[in-house]
Amino acid sequence: MKKILSLVLALSLVLSMALVSSASAEKITDYVDYQTQANEIEYWCIQHSQGAVDLNVLCNCIDGLLTNDPKGALIPCVATEWSANEDGTVWTFKLRDNVKWVDYEGEEMADCVAEDFLWGLEFVLNYAKNEAANTSMPIEMIAGAGEYYEYTKALAESDNQAALDLDLEKFKEMVGIKAVDDYTLEYTLSGPYSYFPTVATYSCLSPISGALLEEIGADGYRNVTYDTLWYNGPYYVSEFVDRSYKILTANPLYYNDEDELFNTVKVQMVESADQAFLLYEAGEIDNVTLNQANLTAIYNNADDKFHDYLVEARPTKYSYQFHFNYNRLNEDGTEDTAWNTLIANENFRKAWYYGIDLTEWLARTNFINPLSCENYAYTNTGVAVTSDGTDYVDLVLKEIGLSNGTGTYARYDADKAAEYIAAAKADMEAAGVALPVKAHYWIVSGNQTALDSAEVLKKCVEDQLGDLVELQIDTYVSSLAQEVRNPHLQSFVINGWGADFGDPINFVGQETYGEDNAYYSQYYSNANLATDENLIAAYKEFTDLVTEAKAINGDLDARYAAFAKAEACMIDHCLVIPAYVNVGWTLTKVNPYSQIYCAYGMMSYRYVNYETNSDGYTTEEIAQLKAAYEGK
Amino acid sequence: MLKYTLKRLFRSLVTVLLIVSIVFLLMRLLPTDYYFREDELMKFTEEQKNERLQAEGLLDPPLVQLGNFFRNMVQYQIKKGRTYSLDQYIAAKLSGEGIDNPKNAKASWVFNLGYSRRIAAGQPVQKVIAEKFGISMRLGLISLAISLFLGVIFGVLQARYKDGVFDHIGTAYTVFVNAVPHLVSYSLILIIGNQIFGLPAVYSSRNEAQSMILPVICLAMGSTAGYMLWMRRYMVDELNKDYIRLAKLKGLSTTKIMFRHVLRNAFVPLAQYLPYSILLTVGGSLLVESFFAIPGMGPMLSQAIPRYDLNLVQAIVMLYAGLGVIGVFLGDLLMCLFDPRISLIGKGEAR
Repeated sequence: MKKILSLVLALSLVLSMALVSSASAEKITDYVDYQTQANEIEYWCIQHSQGAVDLNVLCNCIDGLLTNDPKGALIPCVATEWSANEDGTVWTFKLRDNVKWVDYEGEEMADCVAEDFLWGLEFVLNYAKNEAANTSMPIEMIAGAGEYYEYTKALAESDNQAALDLDLEKFKEMVGIKAVDDYTLEYTLSGPYSYFPTVATYSCLSPISGALLEEIGADGYRNVTYDTLWYNGPYYVSEFVDRSYKILTANPLYYNDEDELFNTVKVQMVESADQAFLLYEAGEIDNVTLNQANLTAIYNNADDKFHDYLVEARPTKYSYQFHFNYNRLNEDGTEDTAWNTLIANENFRKAWYYGIDLTEWLARTNFINPLSCENYAYTNTGVAVTSDGTDYVDLVLKEIGLSNGTGTYARYDADKAAEYIAAAKADMEAAGVALPVKAHYWIVSGNQTALDSAEVLKKCVEDQLGDLVELQIDTYVSSLAQEVRNPHLQSFVINGWGADFGDPINFVGQETYGEDNAYYSQYYSNANLATDENLIAAYKEFTDLVTEAKAINGDLDARYAAFAKAEACMIDHCLVIPAYVNVGWTLTKVNPYSQIYCAYGMMSYRYVNYETNSDGYTTEEIAQLKAAYEGK
Repeated sequence: MLKYTLKRLFRSLVTVLLIVSIVFLLMRLLPTDYYFREDELMKFTEEQKNERLQAEGLLDPPLVQLGNFFRNMVQYQIKKGRTYSLDQYIAAKLSGEGIDNPKNAKASWVFNLGYSRRIAAGQPVQKVIAEKFGISMRLGLISLAISLFLGVIFGVLQARYKDGVFDHIGTAYTVFVNAVPHLVSYSLILIIGNQIFGLPAVYSSRNEAQSMILPVICLAMGSTAGYMLWMRRYMVDELNKDYIRLAKLKGLSTTKIMFRHVLRNAFVPLAQYLPYSILLTVGGSLLVESFFAIPGMGPMLSQAIPRYDLNLVQAIVMLYAGLGVIGVFLGDLLMCLFDPRISLIGKGEAR
């Protein structure tokens, strides 16, 4: 009898627990996100900020003209329609008439009108007000912006207060932006920029309420805090405790009824990834990115309560490359001729390209699915999409004859590698270079993770190319730029690039030859200092293709096709070799495929239209959601 | 005594200013790259970086910057108008130009240590610190009181029943606290407190009292062990001295001996550091505060340095240096009170 009774009791307990748990799987109304304390917001002034730590919060607070959807496409924000004139130099945005500014208590303060965007841009371009932050894109694209910046700079140097006191009069005169009426905004550009609307998602074109500026002054706005700021986005910040947490409350006057918002979003600051995991376990936060130790423990233990809940994150916004240095110097300032001769040799670069299977190294980033981190193109996925929905990166991959997701490391080709290794050896012997040549790879000192990864990379490289190179791991103390890049000490650097706006030029434009603003070829590869004729010819061939592509403005498909050709040329000559993308693992109660995902801009952390499940998503559920997303 | 105090305070002031100057100059010797954030560094050209540094006045020679820092420490600020440094103010008054305040706006003298660059961008640093130190101090004082109380009581008991069960338990506790890495014991406390007792795992201003319980336990745990250890040690030392034997022979009760004689003498070395410990609570605890996301002073210095928040670093160093100097001074005074044999004046200079 006792046995039966206890059995019945146990059964009923299990049943009730099952009922409770199935009943509790519901939507989350008050979402709790987290950040590590190192990533606390620094500037509340959105015009001043170009950093993710600020923009991850502010993209919920200050709405600009446009935003993105979960696939990265442009969708309306404050502007509902946008169009260009025939030659693409004048862009007109139609704004909503129901956008309001509210304060940190959700009280209505003013209407958001076209002139607020003028105040925003004036603030960005005014040297005294914004201290030269965030100016590069407007100066490049908007007519008169550069001249106005120089004007304010000269003024500020003679009389700072006068520059701070500037209103819109001179600005309207000089800069190509006009409020046609309260709800129509017109930008005149310095040339045909077909991708200008993608810039309209970014902080440099954000509005400021003219009324707020009048109240607290330009100085006050530059140093604004959450309780003096005015908000026109889906949330306002109702509470902020520095390095502890902040609470975003749904804006009752938010203009778009179709967007689904949380009642509140709390962003909890945590000390470390380990602590975040503890808090997820305690139910205090709703998602967590796992570190290696936690992931390993959960993955290897089939009984772990989170074992079936492991969710692979979507790739981060950065695409990482091997940037070779074509003008390496020794520590005494003399030229490292051995390395410079070797790296200028295309056969060697091709041996690197075909000969190194990076799978083992990729496992350092993602040991469950190393190949999720494979990266064969230079540009990141999601930067641009053709009219038929094809991602620009797919065009590039087609050009170079590779594809993602084949289940093996697609670039590796033993036969070709052997061929190029032999050719490179012969070339080096002819040039009188003693093999193997030392390749200097620099990592920050005292970082065990970086060192372990570097050791694996060394093994991957030397296993195949050991006859040609010997990878030497060097360490710098604090600044890669100061200690390594400026004195040209690196043989190669692995670095990631994320886009500011949605056009391939933002990526390939960093690698061109003979152009000062090509960031990577100038500061990483030192390509302009290279002397090898073949190398220079390859760079020029690529640069010409970029110039051609840049000139195509009306037809975006043709433009992307031309850029894909240029990028394929760069990869074919192995001027830069793609390395990896970063894909980690998480536990989450949010469907990652319902979140905004865009390779450029600042909208990734906008808490709108999230699909949630208070029990957390299982691996299987996410696989289905992913398939549905990709099929869409 | 007064003369001694003034002399010492003056010397302290010089020490603090010297420390601040050295820190100021050292900070200027660091590579300028880290004035920027990683994502900024990735995008900025050298020219853009220079523009930013120039706009913030960071390209001036370090000594000029130091001069400006001290010059602007006291300022006369006119609301929505000009700001005068002390020398500018005097010059304006003397030259007969007068103060430029056409609208007769409100004006006042302010103590200015500059503005925070990153931690709380644009806020005056003294305001940033003021917001933080209250909470650290509250947390610190509560846990100090608890640990002092428990530490002394248990230390005395351990000494009283030396080599007994109680002594061994106490020693085991001390060893445990010191041997186990803090983050591990904090995690344990977090899990037990949160899962079994349902206490909040992180700080919340809406539920401050409850969310402070676990941090206070974590903080008190370590220092209790410290006080226990030293109390026991000094007590045992004292107990072996001749005067105690004499007191025993004279028939004084054990309680009286323990508290009237032994405790008072054994407390002298602890008393010296007491004011310092109390003042140091302002500084907060790096580990506990970041672990429980408490918005206190603890992690601020270590966060400000890598972000090159120079003014904040200077202000914090100044504060800590000041606290240190005053703490030691008060400790010396307190020691005099506890131990009449010690005198700070008369025999030339003291510490």
